[in-house]
Amino acid sequence: MSHAAAAATHATDALPPVIDGGKTLTDVTRDVFSPLERKASPAWKAGFAAALCALLLGVTAIGYQIATGIGTWGLNRTVGWAFDITNFVFWVGIGHAGTLISAVLLLFRQKWRTSINRSAEAMTIFAVMCAGIFPLIHMGRPWLAHWVFPYPNDRGTLWVNFRSPLLWDVFAIGTYFTISATFWYVGLIPDLATARDRAKEGLRKRILSLLSLGWDGSARTWSRYEVACTILAAIATPLVVSVHSVVSSDFATAVIPGWHATLFPPYFVLGAVFSGFAMVLTLLIVARKVMRLEAYITPRHIGAMCKVVVFTGSIVALAYLTELFTAWYSGNHYEKFVFLNRAFGPMAWAFWIMVTCNVVAPQLLWFRKVRSSVGAVFALSLVINVGMWFERFVIIVTSISRDFLPSSWSGYAPTLVEWATLVGSFGLFFTMFLLFCRYVPMIAASEVKTVLSDRKGEVRP
Amino acid sequence: MSERSDEPMVLPLEPSGVSRRSFLRAAGYGATAAALAACTRAPERAIVSGLSRGDVVAPGRPYFIATTCGACPAACGVLARCVDGRPVKLEGLPGHPVSDGGLCAVGQAQVLSLYDSHRTDGARTFAVRGGEGAPAAWDAPDAAIRARLDAANGKVVLLTGPVTSPSTLAWIAKFRGAFGAEHVMYEPGCASAVADAHAATHGLRVVPRFDFSRARVVASFGADFLGAWLSPVEHARDWSALRPGRTAPERVSKHWQIESRVSTTGLRADRRVRIAPWEAAGAVTELAGAVAGNAPTTPWIAELAAELLSARGASLVISDDPDPAVQSQVNALNVALENYGATVRLEEGRDGVGSATAVRALLARMKAGEVAALVVAGCNPGHAFPGADGFAAAAAKVGTVAVIAPMPDETTAAADFLVPEAHALESWDDAMPARGVVSLRQPAIVPLRAARTLRECLARWCGDSRKEGALVRDHWRDETDGGRTSLAGAFERAFDAALERGHFEARAGGPWKTRVTGPQIPAARARPDAGHLAFVAYEKTALRDGAQAHNAWLQELPDPVSKCVWDNYACLSPDTAKAMGVETGDVVRITVGAASVELPALVQRGQHDGAVAVALGYGRMGTGRFSDVGPEWLESRPTVAPGGLVGVNAAALLPADREPGATVVVRVERTGAKRALACTQDHHTLHVPAHLAPHHGEVRDAVRTIAPGEIGRAAKPEAHAGGAHGGVDLWPADHAATGPKWGMVVDLAACSGCSACVVACQAENSVPVVGKDEVLRHREMHWIRIDRYYDGPDDGLSASQQPMMCQHCANAPCETVCPVLATVHSSDGLNQQVYNRCVGTRYCANNCPYKVRRFNWFDYPREDALQNLALNPDVTVRTRGVMEKCSLCVQRIQEWRNDGRAGGPPMTACQQSCPAGAIVFGDLNDPESRVAKLARDGRAYQVLGELNVKPVVSYLADVRRKDGGGGTR
Repeated sequence: MSHAAAAATHATDALPPVIDGGKTLTDVTRDVFSPLERKASPAWKAGFAAALCALLLGVTAIGYQIATGIGTWGLNRTVGWAFDITNFVFWVGIGHAGTLISAVLLLFRQKWRTSINRSAEAMTIFAVMCAGIFPLIHMGRPWLAHWVFPYPNDRGTLWVNFRSPLLWDVFAIGTYFTISATFWYVGLIPDLATARDRAKEGLRKRILSLLSLGWDGSARTWSRYEVACTILAAIATPLVVSVHSVVSSDFATAVIPGWHATLFPPYFVLGAVFSGFAMVLTLLIVARKVMRLEAYITPRHIGAMCKVVVFTGSIVALAYLTELFTAWYSGNHYEKFVFLNRAFGPMAWAFWIMVTCNVVAPQLLWFRKVRSSVGAVFALSLVINVGMWFERFVIIVTSISRDFLPSSWSGYAPTLVEWATLVGSFGLFFTMFLLFCRYVPMIAASEVKTVLSDRKGEVRP
Repeated sequence: MSERSDEPMVLPLEPSGVSRRSFLRAAGYGATAAALAACTRAPERAIVSGLSRGDVVAPGRPYFIATTCGACPAACGVLARCVDGRPVKLEGLPGHPVSDGGLCAVGQAQVLSLYDSHRTDGARTFAVRGGEGAPAAWDAPDAAIRARLDAANGKVVLLTGPVTSPSTLAWIAKFRGAFGAEHVMYEPGCASAVADAHAATHGLRVVPRFDFSRARVVASFGADFLGAWLSPVEHARDWSALRPGRTAPERVSKHWQIESRVSTTGLRADRRVRIAPWEAAGAVTELAGAVAGNAPTTPWIAELAAELLSARGASLVISDDPDPAVQSQVNALNVALENYGATVRLEEGRDGVGSATAVRALLARMKAGEVAALVVAGCNPGHAFPGADGFAAAAAKVGTVAVIAPMPDETTAAADFLVPEAHALESWDDAMPARGVVSLRQPAIVPLRAARTLRECLARWCGDSRKEGALVRDHWRDETDGGRTSLAGAFERAFDAALERGHFEARAGGPWKTRVTGPQIPAARARPDAGHLAFVAYEKTALRDGAQAHNAWLQELPDPVSKCVWDNYACLSPDTAKAMGVETGDVVRITVGAASVELPALVQRGQHDGAVAVALGYGRMGTGRFSDVGPEWLESRPTVAPGGLVGVNAAALLPADREPGATVVVRVERTGAKRALACTQDHHTLHVPAHLAPHHGEVRDAVRTIAPGEIGRAAKPEAHAGGAHGGVDLWPADHAATGPKWGMVVDLAACSGCSACVVACQAENSVPVVGKDEVLRHREMHWIRIDRYYDGPDDGLSASQQPMMCQHCANAPCETVCPVLATVHSSDGLNQQVYNRCVGTRYCANNCPYKVRRFNWFDYPREDALQNLALNPDVTVRTRGVMEKCSLCVQRIQEWRNDGRAGGPPMTACQQSCPAGAIVFGDLNDPESRVAKLARDGRAYQVLGELNVKPVVSYLADVRRKDGGGGTR
């Protein structure tokens, strides 16, 4: 046995089991499916009511804004994007963890992913839905939004502009949503069949029968299912890299100092994974408590995700430093100014919030003590979410608010409508997520069953 | 974008008789044409449309009427572009002896005032002064007024603004004869003092013509001659002609500005000397002494005197001082410098100048009850006279007050009758802004209101019932031929020709012989004690004395100095403000005696520490109407608070009994309140803030400045195409322009910042007014803005004024990023915005390095729907949610094409209005065109050319001398 293999064995031995509490196959089925068959808990009801209120607030704000004009936002002749595109990039970024967990970790055969991949993927879909709202409503005339799609029409040569990164966004986000939703649904089928089998005769059973596409649990079905999942994972994997790279092109291809940077694609992708894992942590730490799934989402999962967070967070910090170095090394005084202005200008507070949340705070995760404290991890995950929102705000707003000609420099302050829209997007996200927790098996029971530990606490191959 | 149809409006008749089909077609065209014609407000007849492109006035086709601006006594020539019987745009009248093609911001904005629905329709009789006026048929108030005037015979006074109209003056003479009336003229500013001084020193009460085109050394004591002083269009044209870079080096002028506040003119001076308001009289006197040979004690006066003496006969000293004694010293200076007949021309001076002395005497007599009837026209003493109720108190003692005014105002509040005054664009008139020059006015529209001119009122009251047009024409017929019928035909022909030209040269009087007497010695001026400041009232470029306060374009025109809109404010020097703990936006109370006003403070670099400067013309009655301006939404704040007015009337603060020029000592204190000032520019210099500057003292090079000695030296290499990239370019020239390639050159050495172009563009392109709150949110819509960048220390502060509009980049960053191709490049080099394709992502605006794109955040309906008549029918009105920006007046290019490319290249609206000729537009593909030659000039450069966006707009570097300052703090 080589030294490396010995070390690996040692590491595996030291790891706590993926699933706690010596669950049997029956236990898993019961634990995963009974919450769907019980009445909703008061905690769930309270959370859902709050989320729905936030959603309604957002819908009202968006309705008012579309009826009145983009002027109800705090934008101006210099700052044409602020909360809208910040929220867009933030939500797209959130989605990345789901794809990474479900696709990339599947391909890398990381077994620990099985109990969190379902909800992470759901998070992806809901986050992309939230993200998709913003490019739509940020338009001055959203009722003409279909013009950004290259469909056959009678407008002669007038078509879409394939040179515009906004058009690339349309394709990137469209693809991302389609693939993520398909992948998630295909993964759901065995569990939907289980739910169908447990359901009493009635409407619920009929709907579940329809959704489970006649799943019969035969070896042939399982085999085809495995193949489909692998193929979809392979298709989804490049999206982890491509979607946020395309989103970053919105900025990278522009002439505006602070946007015009070749660093952006990898920087955005890693930032997205960073923020996405933080969001997964936020959600699952609450969900495991509320849905009583502590045995399935264990400290081992939290610890693993913390390691991803601290790794990607460090890369993000490196990207920040690289940006500063590039600006200094470029000798371009506009570039240099942008970064000095970010750090010491009128919106320096946003920059320092970003640095504190994204660079300083995650360093605590180097400590095992912090990683094993669920409360601390939860707090840090919130801090990172705030920080990553501010990262996009800083990139977007500080760059355009003070670009080339000093005569046009201006500030930016959000309006109530913008705040309400941001709150509304969280409302949509949590409404969807809570509905998901309530009506869809939150844990991929069929996959978890493949990694159940035996009495000795060893992972079954 | 908008294009007019190429459909011919004249029906070609078929020679082979009329078929049923062609008859129906003809009948259809005919009926439509008749219906369209019947819908217009075309004047009946006798209006001579000159310079129209073809003599056919057809529906939808523009035609031009030469007329005269009525906004100020300068009487610039106007070419009114009319469509369907209504003027939609005012242009400067080329060849006019005063303005020669330029037209200032105020003149441009008159087309909006014409369509002001608040203008009174039909006469009003007030049962109670200050109460509601009952509408009256024209006959009733005429009879009543006549009866009252008859009863008051011998104690009638006619108070007017400056009247230069010969025909009106003739009727005033008849009126005086008929009612034993006296005529008093009021004029704001220093014109009265200039005329009084000339009466004293030269025996002629005129304001002379100041010819800056021959003045190689100009010393202006506070006179804002490029902004609001006497005849700014003419002065800006003449001044710009001698700017370095625009003329041969030996003809270049040097412009000294000696002032306590910061004026538009001062910022563009070669040398700006800051002095205290109370030092102005002493400085002029000391300079007069220095020129006469006494040794001055002040260094800068010695320098100035030496420069003036070296340019005898080609120098010019002017002052805006209201003290005739100071003006007489100025005259003495110009006499000693042999400037009379050269740069100061009495023989081309303006008669009909207001008299401050006569107005003071009138007020005293009114208060003493010696005036039984007062007719007020062409001025607003209720607002403009010093003191809180300077006029109202006196008017209360007058039996009958009849006011001829466009709408109810502060003066009509003290009146028995209001006779609506016709707008200059709907009336006949003449004006003699300079002896020998008669500028004619003819209506460009059938009157929108039952209203009259002063002349028509006087004629009616004297029992003459002729119409307006006849009154003017008959006056000149009588003047010309003494009524001899044999010459009638020749006269009509000549007068028609004059109407077409807009003016004629009258027979000038004989040689001018004047006796020259010595100047008076100005009284010493009080210096405020510690803790007090000297109050300086000034007129802004846009609102002037307040007559324009109802014009939303002018209210929203950024001040050339402060860049603020929709307010007046107390300007304080940075040190004074710091000592008081005041920042821009803090409300201060200015107290003099018992009177006080509260105004937001504005910290103004370059101002004297001992002065507080406040603009006149604000706080006008009725400006509360502008609470409706701008969008209404959740967080909107009205431009004017309910029951409020736009700004505060500073005249109310001036003591009524003050000697002209005497220091007004005021106390200024913080109130603790705040009132945000809406400014279109937040960062005022090209210097990056020191703590954010990558290099110490870093300056952005948007404006390039060279010294006079550098003119003509080898151009900087990056000024030419290819840019810093040495000709290597990843972008293919995908728009090989075979026809014209439109481009523009802006000469920064000539631009005074007067902002005529901004209003011209607003009128031409139907740019909406958005209101104060939107400007506070940095959402002004102007397609052309003027970036004002301060330069130099506070002592000797100057500024570059950079007109900035869409640069129509060949490699336009906006074009690549639009997802729906709503902004594209034309084959003739224009960056086009396709409004009906735009979905409003604003990506183009974000990616514009010049930040010239403007987004329709809301729908911006006009506060006054009648003013929709001023919309240019050739330009699309933009809807909410779309982007817009400068189109280089594509509609004019299109019109020029449709008209068979007649004449030279089309002129953009900004170019046409620019008095200084600082903007040149044309075809860059024609190497012989003016614009192409200027673009190759050694001073030419492209703003942000290093980005390789290849703008088609070039700028000619500003030329600055490096000496400056020398005054006091």
